[in-house]
Amino acid sequence: MKRNKWILAVACLALSASVAHAQAQSSGVTLVKNATLLTITHGTIENGSILIRNGKIAAVGKDLPAPAGATVIDAAGQYVLPGIIDCHSHIAVEGSVNEGSISVSSMANIADVLDPDDIEIQRDLAGGVTSANILHGSANSIGGQTLVIKLRWGQPASKLPFEGALPGIKFALGENPKRSNSTVLPGTQRRYPATRMGVEDTIREAFTRAMEYKRQWDDYNRRKAAGEQNLIPPRRDLQLEPLVEVLEGKRYVHSHCYRADEILMLIRVANEFGFKVRTFQHVLEGYKVAKEIAAHGAGASTFSDWWAYKMEAFDAIPYNAAIMAQKGVVVSINSDSGEEARHLNQEAAKTMKYGGLSELEALKLVTLNPAIQLGIEKRVGSIDVGKDADLVIYNKHPLSVYAVPQKVLIDGQVYFDREKDAAGRAALDKERKDLIEKEKKAAEAARRRPGQTPPNRTGETPPNPPQPEREGERP
Amino acid sequence: MIHRRRHAFVYPGIVVLALALAALIPAQRAAADDPPYFAIKGARIVPVSGPVIEDGTVVIAKGLIAAVGKDVPIPPEAWVIDGKGLTVYPGLIDALSDVGLPSATPAQSAGGAGRGAQPTPATVPAQQTPSRGPEDRPGTTPWLVGADELKPDDKRIEQWRNAGFTTALVAPTRGFFPGQGAVVNLAGERASEMVVKSPATLNVSLQGTGGFGGGFPNSLMGILAYVHQVFVDTAWYAEASAAYEKHPNGANRIPYDRTERVVSGAVRDREPVLVSANSANQIYRALRMAPQWNPRFVLYGVQEGYAAADAIAAAKVPVLVNLRWPERSRDADPDQEDSLRVLRFRDRAPSTPAALAKAGVPFAFYAEGIANPKDIVRNAGKAIAAGLSADAALRAFTLSAAEILGVADRLGSIEPGKIANLVITDGDIFNEKTKVKIVFVDGQRFVVREEERPPQRGPQGPPMGEVQP
Amino acid sequence: MKTTIRLLRIAALLALALAPSARAQEAYAITGAKVYTLAGPPIENATVVIRDGKIVAVGADAKAPAGAKVIDAKGLEIYPGMFDPWSELGLAEVGAVAATVDTTELGEFKPQLVAGTAVNPASAHIPVVRASGITHVLTAPGGGTIAGQATIMNLAGWTMDEMAVRRSAAMVINWPALQPRGGGGGGAAFRARTFTEIKQEYDKRVQELGDWLERARHYAQAAEKGSAAKFDRDLKLEALVPVVEGKLPVLVLARGAREIRDAVNFCEKQKVKMVLADATEAWKVKDLLKQKNIPVILPPTQSLPREEDDPYDRSFTQPAELVAAGVKIAFSSTAYEFARRLSQQAGVAVAYGLPHDEALKAVTLYPAQMFGIDKELGTIEPGKLANLIVTTGDPLELRTEVRYLFIKGQLTSTDNKHRQLWEEYRKRP
Repeated sequence: MKRNKWILAVACLALSASVAHAQAQSSGVTLVKNATLLTITHGTIENGSILIRNGKIAAVGKDLPAPAGATVIDAAGQYVLPGIIDCHSHIAVEGSVNEGSISVSSMANIADVLDPDDIEIQRDLAGGVTSANILHGSANSIGGQTLVIKLRWGQPASKLPFEGALPGIKFALGENPKRSNSTVLPGTQRRYPATRMGVEDTIREAFTRAMEYKRQWDDYNRRKAAGEQNLIPPRRDLQLEPLVEVLEGKRYVHSHCYRADEILMLIRVANEFGFKVRTFQHVLEGYKVAKEIAAHGAGASTFSDWWAYKMEAFDAIPYNAAIMAQKGVVVSINSDSGEEARHLNQEAAKTMKYGGLSELEALKLVTLNPAIQLGIEKRVGSIDVGKDADLVIYNKHPLSVYAVPQKVLIDGQVYFDREKDAAGRAALDKERKDLIEKEKKAAEAARRRPGQTPPNRTGETPPNPPQPEREGERP
Repeated sequence: MIHRRRHAFVYPGIVVLALALAALIPAQRAAADDPPYFAIKGARIVPVSGPVIEDGTVVIAKGLIAAVGKDVPIPPEAWVIDGKGLTVYPGLIDALSDVGLPSATPAQSAGGAGRGAQPTPATVPAQQTPSRGPEDRPGTTPWLVGADELKPDDKRIEQWRNAGFTTALVAPTRGFFPGQGAVVNLAGERASEMVVKSPATLNVSLQGTGGFGGGFPNSLMGILAYVHQVFVDTAWYAEASAAYEKHPNGANRIPYDRTERVVSGAVRDREPVLVSANSANQIYRALRMAPQWNPRFVLYGVQEGYAAADAIAAAKVPVLVNLRWPERSRDADPDQEDSLRVLRFRDRAPSTPAALAKAGVPFAFYAEGIANPKDIVRNAGKAIAAGLSADAALRAFTLSAAEILGVADRLGSIEPGKIANLVITDGDIFNEKTKVKIVFVDGQRFVVREEERPPQRGPQGPPMGEVQP
Repeated sequence: MKTTIRLLRIAALLALALAPSARAQEAYAITGAKVYTLAGPPIENATVVIRDGKIVAVGADAKAPAGAKVIDAKGLEIYPGMFDPWSELGLAEVGAVAATVDTTELGEFKPQLVAGTAVNPASAHIPVVRASGITHVLTAPGGGTIAGQATIMNLAGWTMDEMAVRRSAAMVINWPALQPRGGGGGGAAFRARTFTEIKQEYDKRVQELGDWLERARHYAQAAEKGSAAKFDRDLKLEALVPVVEGKLPVLVLARGAREIRDAVNFCEKQKVKMVLADATEAWKVKDLLKQKNIPVILPPTQSLPREEDDPYDRSFTQPAELVAAGVKIAFSSTAYEFARRLSQQAGVAVAYGLPHDEALKAVTLYPAQMFGIDKELGTIEPGKLANLIVTTGDPLELRTEVRYLFIKGQLTSTDNKHRQLWEEYRKRP
């Protein structure tokens, strides 16, 4: 659980051997063959092959011949699933995931603080996750801006964003934004809101301002276009700009929520201001208002079986995903945790026991459905010709607890390879030991030389300033 | 100044005191009535702006360099210093410092988003109620200028000078917009004598921690959004003010905002904006974001620049490299192995200057966090050991710093007309055995005496090796 | 639809089980199942006979006695009921609502506290956990250095007296940590402690712990030999007496290799019986654990690695690695709301190399052995308490369902709050 995260992140582009491998393989032709393909959109193909060209799936079927020069991955006896998509993640973020100081923190943008060196990218990748919706935390009624990334471990931050995916914004309802479970620091006041009434008010107030802001700009642009002189433009407001984008349908709303009443509240507010909620996140009482969620057209991204960690989660049931799916909601299972993301396939499998979903329905919860929720289903979420070659190769059926991801491909490149990962460990160990030895020798030499500034004790400069554990997002 | 000095001779008691001080302090201005003309004759001269002159002469007249060369005439009134066996360099420049700002020193513990990479609480002292948004301008005091905060009696000024530093960019440290830097010479009775250029830079710090609790901004992304908003506001202020001043009648006036006024002034005056960035990821981020704030910016920190040198070069952005290389914490758990990427960082950080030089990035050095100024040049030696040429290291300490700080027309090299800031050593400045013998600041001579003992160790902790858990 | 029919079938049988442990004086015969006794190889098409709360016969040739209720379990499998040997079940209802949480008493040394005292037999969690095939748990207090006594209980009964297997099953010790604890709050309040400070505090705590046991030893001596008139009763020391006498094991929670090593040496020196728990880095000291015969209750297999440079699968492979080294392990949930993930933790360990039968034993027999209750529980053998589950298959698999569940020989309902809400809301028009 302990997580060392240094503000001074250090890029190391080749921490795992698999990355070097991935880079060596770029933009070639790859054939995955002899596998059981769980295509999601067109059934299961036994002894199937996938031809990958320039990062895209070029062909899917039985007995595809390997073109000359193609890299061949023989996956005999193994299973291929579209890369898992985690619709609620907080990995790969430098600093806190919460700008928790104010109730509307929409100026904060996760895209600004991506951290490509976060080891949890690699860990989640090794669990089969290829895309993730990186969300701001839930401390605010309206939180920060979010984005979808691909888990291209080893690439710089600029290469992480999922190209073309619409950005989002985090909303949060209930106990977290009203700070029911937070201690108020001595000498400070409680932050508004403290009730679910106030949460609604905060959101309505913000959108009222956003509409006025939009009106000012529309007015200014109209007058300017008409040739009016000496106009003073409205002042840009980075807090309201993303809300205007929501009103214009250019930014998705992903709202953290628990109780049925607050879900209905947000639907009401969205209708009042004329926007759509793209997904309800957690939405643990979604099963109580599945019909209303479906009617609004929102997706629901939930946990498999978390409950009771707080009051608003006391009516949470593991049947939630199944009920919502059966009532017409596009449902996904998410992680909200760098650990949980490592076995989303298992979490999806639980819906077969809890609520009787079919294998296909269960698999969709972590593949095609989150892709639809994030508006990237034309690119990922199934094994179809033309889609990105984001694939997980398991040794067993991914709905079994015994399945272990063997290889994970993104854009046709192998970003994780279990064998190579294991084989590369000794070299990394040796490098670490060598560096430690080198430092010891240097320190020894320095000790014999007087008059040097002693190294700092508190680490006020790099390498390793002590950091609080990552300011956790709370589920 | 000279006038005041002469008073000293009137009161013998003060003379005694001065002598007593002289015994304590290893160097002092040689004499109050030093002549305004000096000639250093027969020395090895490293002008930095040109080739080395063996057995050359530098002539100083009234604070400026009058002549430099193999055979230059020495004015008859000059005090001639025999330079045999000595090397003359331009005075070194610490390109970002809080020397002379004693109140800035405890910034680390007193809170405020400190400069550079250190994580400090984001709350700003003196602010009673937590900030509720950008409009409260948290951690924002751009109107503070290093020149105005200068305390000439800060004893670090002399320590720095004795280590060969004649100039520093001094700047306030607290907050996201801590203030503006001033280029100052490290000698003088009063700030007015010391300041070379002020304001010279607008400083921005992006570091801080955050989470649940505290005022805005309390996360890195909040800080970035905040800084962005201030520059957006500033641009608007400039545009709107101009429009209003043209046609005030019938228009609503522009609300007064001190931050907007000062920052827009700095932008207008083309002051470089100093932006903190230490890790490669922070560097890439700054290269992406800072151009929206101000086209003219300089990165500081940059210790993982070895992994981002090409990107910095492509962006044509100069950098200030912090010479306080990362080291394992002295009180670290002895059984705790640092992670590989931390170890790699510590191992490779000193190779940053070489990488920058190779990529063609202009860079200078600064010494923030280094308590003993002798370590500054010594730490540059680690960069040399990691592949930087000694010439490039010297240039980073002198002419490059002057260029980046916009004072190369008056500082940074030994050329006629420039300010007579010189450091005279008994050998190669990067040789550990070399001693600084004489320092000239504004043409004033300071003789550096042998130290009995190195200065007090830094406040950070016991000497190495004492911690034996 | 399939589910509905199956549920109706179950409901019909569960009508027998009106309430948990309603009637203990009944006989059952479960026939036609494949029985994993864990005392030998699986038996095909076998019958398990239960009477008066105990297993009386197991085998292909076992016969249903007259009057016994017969459950046709053809196509199903029977396993010993699972044992979660480190949970907080019954002590907490809603994590964030302090009024519902009784896990952590104030104070640093509180050996006199007993978890069973605060267990709420009506907790909504108990039926939820039971439905996952867990028939008994150890529930442990937390906080401080000596947290108190853990209780092992069956997950059925009207009162703790009916539920308790061992009211006092172990003394829980939170071994001090040589790691800076997470800052948590962040912001201005955060200050990193130096290692020197951490080490000093660590040594002090360990010293104090030793002092407590030393005092308890003297107390035991005084209580035995001293004159009653001169002797003041001390509830804390009294509670520690069974520990120093080696009768009550200590459940030591330690994560790092150094802490584990120190704890093992400490317990050896103090001559107390130790069960290690929360042992994230047990793999680093597996030889020591084998040599000293220290059993290990693992934290959830699905945990993040402790160090950034640890292999990503460090915690997945640890169970297999320990077992290969000859260390006895058990899986645990460490919690109340995640207890139903116990079988998943064992299953993942199998995926990463643990033999399947070892994984099964690590959720049944092995933890029973650790607390000396293996004569009563842990396998399906005549004479043992009839805690067992009848499943649709491998209990470690995610989609396997528990069809019937017996606790103390009683057919016990698998209905629970979640299933009820499901039934209620899936029908919402």
